[in-house]
Amino acid sequence: MSTQQKPDSDRKARLELLQGTLDLLILRTLIFGAEHGQGIARAIQQTSENELLVEHGALYPALQRLEARGWIAAEWGTSTNNRKARFYTLTKAGRKQLVEETTQWRRLAAAIGRILGPEGEEG
Amino acid sequence: MRDPDDFREEIRAHVELEADRLRQQGLSAEEARAAARRSFGNLTGAEERYYESRRWTWLDLLAQNVRFGLRMLARNPGSSAIAILTLALGIGANTAIFSLLDAVVFRNLPVHQPEQLVLFGKGEWAGSADDVPNRSWQLFSYPGYREFQRKNQVFSDVAAIDSILFTTHGRVASGENLEKVAVELVSGTFFHTLGVNAALGRTLTDADDAAPGAHPVAVANYSWWQRRLGKAPSVLGTRVTIGSTDYSIIGVTPPEFFGAIVGQSPDLWIPLAMEKEVSPGWNGLDKDLFQSLYVFARRKPGVTIQQAGANVNVLFQQMVQAYAGPQPSRKQLESISHARVEVTPAATGLSHVRQRLTAPLAILMAVVALVLLIACANVANLLLARSASRQREIAVRMSIGAGRSRLIQQLLIESGLLGLAGAVLSVPIAWGLLRLLVSMGSEPLALRVAPDMQVLGFALALTMLTVLLFGTVPAFRATRLELAPSLRAGRGVMGGSSRSRLARGLIVGQVALSLALLTGAGLLLHSLINLMNVNTGFDRRNVLLAGIDPAGAGYREDARLETMMERLEDRVARLPGIQGAGFALSVFNGGGRTGPVTVPGQPALERDVTHNIVGARYLEAMNMPIVLGRSLSSRDDEASQRVAVINETMARTYFPGISPLGRTFSTGDEPEWQDIAVVGVVRDAKYMELQEKQQAAAFYPHAQHHTMVYNFVVRYTGDRKVAIREVRRAVAEVDPNLPIDDFSTLARVVNDSVGNSRLVAQLSTAFGALAALLASIGIYGVMSYGISRRTNEFGIRMALGAQRSDVLWMVLRETLALVLTGVAAGLALALALSRLETSMLFGLTPADPVAIGLATALMMAVALFAGWLPARRATRIDPTVALRYE
Repeated sequence: MSTQQKPDSDRKARLELLQGTLDLLILRTLIFGAEHGQGIARAIQQTSENELLVEHGALYPALQRLEARGWIAAEWGTSTNNRKARFYTLTKAGRKQLVEETTQWRRLAAAIGRILGPEGEEG
Repeated sequence: MRDPDDFREEIRAHVELEADRLRQQGLSAEEARAAARRSFGNLTGAEERYYESRRWTWLDLLAQNVRFGLRMLARNPGSSAIAILTLALGIGANTAIFSLLDAVVFRNLPVHQPEQLVLFGKGEWAGSADDVPNRSWQLFSYPGYREFQRKNQVFSDVAAIDSILFTTHGRVASGENLEKVAVELVSGTFFHTLGVNAALGRTLTDADDAAPGAHPVAVANYSWWQRRLGKAPSVLGTRVTIGSTDYSIIGVTPPEFFGAIVGQSPDLWIPLAMEKEVSPGWNGLDKDLFQSLYVFARRKPGVTIQQAGANVNVLFQQMVQAYAGPQPSRKQLESISHARVEVTPAATGLSHVRQRLTAPLAILMAVVALVLLIACANVANLLLARSASRQREIAVRMSIGAGRSRLIQQLLIESGLLGLAGAVLSVPIAWGLLRLLVSMGSEPLALRVAPDMQVLGFALALTMLTVLLFGTVPAFRATRLELAPSLRAGRGVMGGSSRSRLARGLIVGQVALSLALLTGAGLLLHSLINLMNVNTGFDRRNVLLAGIDPAGAGYREDARLETMMERLEDRVARLPGIQGAGFALSVFNGGGRTGPVTVPGQPALERDVTHNIVGARYLEAMNMPIVLGRSLSSRDDEASQRVAVINETMARTYFPGISPLGRTFSTGDEPEWQDIAVVGVVRDAKYMELQEKQQAAAFYPHAQHHTMVYNFVVRYTGDRKVAIREVRRAVAEVDPNLPIDDFSTLARVVNDSVGNSRLVAQLSTAFGALAALLASIGIYGVMSYGISRRTNEFGIRMALGAQRSDVLWMVLRETLALVLTGVAAGLALALALSRLETSMLFGLTPADPVAIGLATALMMAVALFAGWLPARRATRIDPTVALRYE
């Protein structure tokens, strides 16, 4: 038992999400199909290899916002372990938005990368 | 929208799913739940954020803002009260004037499809009793009306109203006393053309207007029914005896209907067929050229005004040519070629008061609009000062994340609350002012002035506009600030210069507008003084006027009437304390009969002479001095030569260079008006109004012309009440049936004749004073605030040796600069605006130096006083205290 990693008690410094990126990550996660809130939070955390900290509470205003803009749709359903949960799916508009934001993000990251230069130069 | 329970459910599911997962990883159920909760973060926080994202939270925010706004207003009760009162005065004055303007000018008659109604002519009171007028026609004869009605192809119906409201006397339900009854003679088609149905009984029909003298029926006005008969349902069939005719009431009009002539409300409507019975002295149903009727009509659907006008004028030309007879004179031919009828829209009805009041009301509307603008500037300044003292609060709120839009919203809501409170308080102000306005004129106006949807809408729109005007700029100003320095400094650092630039701009604007208003008021006052100083040509002091109604008592125009008049004049003249008495066909400002005269051997002149038929001692009673020859005398009777006393202007115009005594002239076609000998010349006087150009006038003794006259003039000494009692007694002795009432004095009639000018002058002065007061409050506020911020500076200056007078001058100089700028702008504005008043001015131009000079002096004095008060406070600053002042 001693080797078991305590999943959420590790307090190693995780990256805080940049403002606005959470929306992008949610959209990206939903590209694989319908998912409920907890699943989305988990998926982001796991896909980022636990680098990103998603405060689960912060997820919901974002979901709310995306739903209001018509980028995602929601429906109550049953989870794999038979719990009632609200499932979100990507809409057509959401898909378009995802492409757009992804492109933008890539350009931004590339630009910042160019300014910062190759890794290891900061020292 | 999702409801909060649904959202709560989702969150609960999330926490459970997370706990499930953690349990699978081996945590105990309890640990798992706690960890899941932890990872979710603040549960309530999430719910709150969700709640705020919902769209209708604005309602809660609004309620919150309103509560907060009310607290903020209550925190400064003094300045809030001033702001609310200022706004209430501004909005109230505007609403009152607008209500009146609406009632007099804009409002449609409360009848069926008023937009289909048209009037023949423009409703001016101008016509002839026996000739073809050489102009666009305004009044028509009864045969003319009938011909229009019969032959037109464009109207569904045509109706006529007598242009004179007959104030006669009658007995209601065989009552003891003769009482005053206002009768409007109308065609039988009147109600049908208007589309007004009876509230009780029936209205008139064309069959009630078929044969002269054969239709003694009347429709009662609702307000008369209410006032006189207490709304008794038994009104139908009630008898009203006027003269020697019994009229039977056949119906009552609906309560909202005041008649087709706005500002004039009769008690009874009687068919025109009864003209001779109602008005024995002035009638002509059968005469083609006896033009005394307004004619109006209802267009058939689809007929335009132009089409109606074309049809009417074709008929009219045929009619006029027929009137002139087979051999028209050259003058008549020319008149016929000019004769035409202008058909005008009549949805708002006819009105004598409209022509009289439109210009004054328009001026007053402009005045109160400016007052409201000044009020807005004042409140804006108040809010600016307040927001300056609230900088810290606003900075704190912004720094902890309040959005600017939310703060602006908050500030606008506070302004809205001020506006709303002002609007509520303005209702009694508007109502009071309106009552005052309606009763203040020379005669009370019969108007429906109850606030209706239009007025209410106006007041609401005005309030919103006001709030935007005074609230927006301060709100945007207050929230445009740099947080750090504001928080650090605690107070008074924020863009002081831009704030005060705005405040100063507002002051300059206020001074300019106030000066324009004061100048306008000054012009009207000066004009009124000119009017009151006009030489009337008669002595207005100690003269009683009374109305006597021989027709109501059953007199006809015959010898019996003449005997009664002479006996009454004699009887009254012999009373103690009475110096003279006489009947008169017309008295000052009571209208009059005018017409051309011809002098043998001289070409006819274009101008008209004012004819008055009077008692033998009338000129003495009026103190109108004879300058040549003799006055009228009781020896001028039916048996002797017909005579006249003419005025100086008539003597000069018609008998130039020769003595008019013994010369003769004629007027009209009737035998009794031919070869009238001039026996005397009386000094010129004013006859109809103070503003009139000098008229030519002639006075004839009533003994030589049997005419129904209604005015009785008495010169008295001593107590007026005693004189009135004595005159009443004398009348009762001569004929106990003869109604006499409407006692007034000549001085009062002269005063009332300029009632509109006086009303407008007084109101403009009051509003001008209000404007100057508001501007002064503004100056005082801005200067006080400026000085309180510079306390420190003054302290230093004084510590360094500045004298109190230096400080005083420094502060005053600032005020003076503002005031002078404002005055310069105001003078330009006043000169531009006062042109609009030209039609109301008498004996001066809009650039009257007296009015402008006085207004400027007054404005400067008031403004500098307002600036001097805070300046004096600045000089009392104690340097040691001031230096410690934050």
